[in-house]
Amino acid sequence: MSTSRSTEAEGAAHSADGTDEESESFTGQGLPRVEDHRILTGEAEYIHDITPENCLHMALVRSMHAHAEITDIDTSEAEAHPDCELVLTAEDVKADYNPMPTGITEVHTDEGTGTITEWSLADDRARFVGEPVVAVVASNRYAAEDVADLVNVTYESLDPVTDGMTAREDETIVHDSAGTNIVDSEHLTFGDVDEAFADADQVVEGEYFWGRISGVPLETAGVVAQYDADTDSFDIDCNIQLHTLVDDTIYDTLGYDPDDVRVSVPPDVGGSYGTKIAIHRYCCLAAMASQKLDRPVKFEEDRIENLQGGDMHCSERNYKMRLAVDDDGTMRGLDVWFVDDFGAYPRYPVNQVLKPLSVVTNSYDLQNVSYEYELALTNKTSQTAYRGFGVDPHIYALEMVVDKAARELDIDPTEFRRRNLIDESDMPYTLATNNIYDSGNYAATLDRIEEIIEDERDGGYLDPEIVEEKRAEGKYRGVQPSVIIEPGVSGSDWTDRQRSDRDALADRDREDVTELPEHLRARVESDGTVTAFLATDSSGQGHQTLVSQLLADELSLLPSDIEVDYLNSADAPTEYGSAASRMAVMLSGATVGVADELKASVESTAAAHWGVDSEDVVYREGHVERIETGEWLSLGDISAIESERDGSPTQVSYDYEHPATAFEEFDDAFVEKLPVYPTAAFGANAPIVEVDINTGEVDILVFHTVRDCGTMLNPMIVEGQAHGGIAQGIGAALMEEFGYDEDGQPQAITLFDYLLPSIKNIPHIEMEHTETPSPFTVTGAKGVGEGGMIDAPASIATSINAALDPLDVDEPADRIPVSPAHLRKRLRTLEE
Amino acid sequence: MSTDSMNEEGGPTTTEITVTVNGTQVTADVEPRLKLSDFLRYHCDLRGVRVGCEHGVCGACTVEQDGASIKSCLSYAVQADGAKIETVEGLTNDDGSLHPIQEAFHESHALQCGFCTSGFVMATKELLEENPSPTREEIETGLEDNICRCTGYQNIYKAVESAAAKMEDD
Ligand code: FES
Ligand code: FES
Repeated sequence: MSTSRSTEAEGAAHSADGTDEESESFTGQGLPRVEDHRILTGEAEYIHDITPENCLHMALVRSMHAHAEITDIDTSEAEAHPDCELVLTAEDVKADYNPMPTGITEVHTDEGTGTITEWSLADDRARFVGEPVVAVVASNRYAAEDVADLVNVTYESLDPVTDGMTAREDETIVHDSAGTNIVDSEHLTFGDVDEAFADADQVVEGEYFWGRISGVPLETAGVVAQYDADTDSFDIDCNIQLHTLVDDTIYDTLGYDPDDVRVSVPPDVGGSYGTKIAIHRYCCLAAMASQKLDRPVKFEEDRIENLQGGDMHCSERNYKMRLAVDDDGTMRGLDVWFVDDFGAYPRYPVNQVLKPLSVVTNSYDLQNVSYEYELALTNKTSQTAYRGFGVDPHIYALEMVVDKAARELDIDPTEFRRRNLIDESDMPYTLATNNIYDSGNYAATLDRIEEIIEDERDGGYLDPEIVEEKRAEGKYRGVQPSVIIEPGVSGSDWTDRQRSDRDALADRDREDVTELPEHLRARVESDGTVTAFLATDSSGQGHQTLVSQLLADELSLLPSDIEVDYLNSADAPTEYGSAASRMAVMLSGATVGVADELKASVESTAAAHWGVDSEDVVYREGHVERIETGEWLSLGDISAIESERDGSPTQVSYDYEHPATAFEEFDDAFVEKLPVYPTAAFGANAPIVEVDINTGEVDILVFHTVRDCGTMLNPMIVEGQAHGGIAQGIGAALMEEFGYDEDGQPQAITLFDYLLPSIKNIPHIEMEHTETPSPFTVTGAKGVGEGGMIDAPASIATSINAALDPLDVDEPADRIPVSPAHLRKRLRTLEE
Repeated sequence: MSTDSMNEEGGPTTTEITVTVNGTQVTADVEPRLKLSDFLRYHCDLRGVRVGCEHGVCGACTVEQDGASIKSCLSYAVQADGAKIETVEGLTNDDGSLHPIQEAFHESHALQCGFCTSGFVMATKELLEENPSPTREEIETGLEDNICRCTGYQNIYKAVESAAAKMEDD
């Protein structure tokens, strides 16, 4: 279990001038980031900082009703305002543009096939509070808001439907054209579920709720759109995530070819965590306005818009879990049912209801699984992705029912888990759902976290004497670990499962599977430095650092000899990009590949220059050497030769195939369009919680964690990702929620109500690592971005259960967030 | 509404203010409703002043006014008339080298997306000016009005401690 990388450069690292240095590799080191300087000095250009000359500003009039007919829109007063440049309504949008693509194209009911249409501005009906109804443009944002205030919209309010369970009854229907609120559902079974449940000694059942949360990056959405009449095309700068994948939501809406809508993302984005994938509405509206006015138009979302109607909330799920177990503590079968409240429109990330299939039984060896979901529409803002992409609620619900089963079987919950862990000797392990865990010793991780807990019992936070004393004050301490898997590096072929004819999937074969590789380009500059071009966007993950580190090693250069830039959506091929804990693996694979291409290219240019065969030359230490004579050409020389010959410098590209495509083991999952995540990072947490039964408050005294994400390419960045994920998991577990009242009014529209953890709320995180390389990836790295968000909420919930175990409260953490109000309510039943 | 900010010609009423920003005097005609954060970003072109909420919770817009850190989204430019403002741009030394706090944030990996960073750096500056070697609890209290969504704060503690050590050495 140790790092194996760095041998590729044949043990030697060299500086650009060709002088030998101590053998050392940059990969695997906690190299400080190249992104930092511009940020620390205030020079970084985020989207909010981009304001071209002559730029106008847009503001939006949003619905204050959750559900209403729009009977009239009077724009006359707004248009009369001296600063008003443009007023756009659904009527204008419908006249010249298309509806925005939707995540569910056809809705099947007994009555036939229904559809859902979403325009960039609400048409005759408003479906959630905060839905944009009118767009106005003026000289600056202050003036634009003045103009927006003068628009008069008349509504006739309708009954809203505000939660997933009620939506199922179809009493109020969000989209009449769909005919139902349940716009997608599927029941998948694996193994022999009926037999397992009939034959098991016991069936344990639990119901759990996961509240609406989101990433809430500090930077809100923003866009600057410029229409160019000469070429009849658009340039759009936006902090949208996955701009080379989801740009269809923009060009399809505008009715243009992909090449005529160039979407660029600034190198610095103020956080996204998945949540900026579906902000295309703003791009579309700004582009339309720019086209009408023939001037650049900018839109900057404000925080209230972002929280109430920013199309960026994530999963809200009601779960019914059943676990079939034998009295000896053997898990026999798992039955998962849930409804996910998607809000008013099913957007792009509908497949986050499916991603849990990639880790459906978590770290447990269990082959009989039933998995059924219903995707419900309600009068709330639409869902998008958030770190974990729907796996976090699943792991939470699963670990809750596992906890409950242990208690009902009267087996220690850790021991119950241990008995069912996947054994190291079974790696790679194929899940019931055909995804594969690559490597790992889960039992060892559980043992290690138990040792850490033992230490806490010995004079630490869990010392029996202190625990007793605290209990007398009404403060209950406890902890309950489990081993939790983070699926990494999604493939893309399965992601349109919901738009495929699912009955026809049985007839697919391997040739029908189409994957998206990761694209990377590199160019040799005349000074001998190298510029790499990413086909994806970044939002704080340090991709520029990672690529410069890896490329420096591959080419025996210094990281400072490497610049890393970004491609726009038209120049880049369609590809997946930064999501699903992909980039460490995909970018490292692509970097190794592009370096090989580059070396081959400069060798062949040099060979041609000397008039010798390419076997007679060799790339070494940042230059190409002619073996026979020892003469050499630097990278800069070669690029100049190439420029003279071809009119352009040395430039290569490489497409790194998704790693799972090379392994037959994944064929079944690919063919059946089931989630393919070929790396399984894992870890175990021990958050020592203290519950104050008088106030219902939960304090995490220290957060222990033991983690393994395979080979660590940059340990500093790996730790940073884990810290951030765990902090977001703590916020999710204890503080954050987008609540709604029964009229569909959002209850958290400022950061006073949507509580983001501050430095006071995040305990000390005590982290240890093991390194089990992935056999499926070039560098041995596994995905790492989402782990903390996936595992922390479940660990905190089970630890709260453990803390309150001495009291007679059944599953106190049966909803997320476990807010003080919720715990007080649960504890009150105890007093009665 | 615009009505209260209109003069007779139908244009917005403006007031002349003079503010010393990072050592330079700036005089401008501004609308009374112009937020200090927007004044700094758009009139002074100091875009390191970040705006994350405009209601005083996130702290991304933290700057120093007359030596004390404030949230610039919560005050108006006219309120800064005659004041001295310092932003993150003012920290960098004339030769372009970083202030010890900036250096410490870089070395400790105390930033990821960086959107909170200007605010944290300015809040740290005030904290260390008042208390050159703060304990973990004092750091917690000093920085509790700033939100970071990326780092989980672990490396921010480290950065503050390392900045304190660097500044002591200077
Ligand atoms: S922008 Fe000022 S506190 Fe958030
Ligand atoms: S680094 Fe992203 S919010 Fe702090």
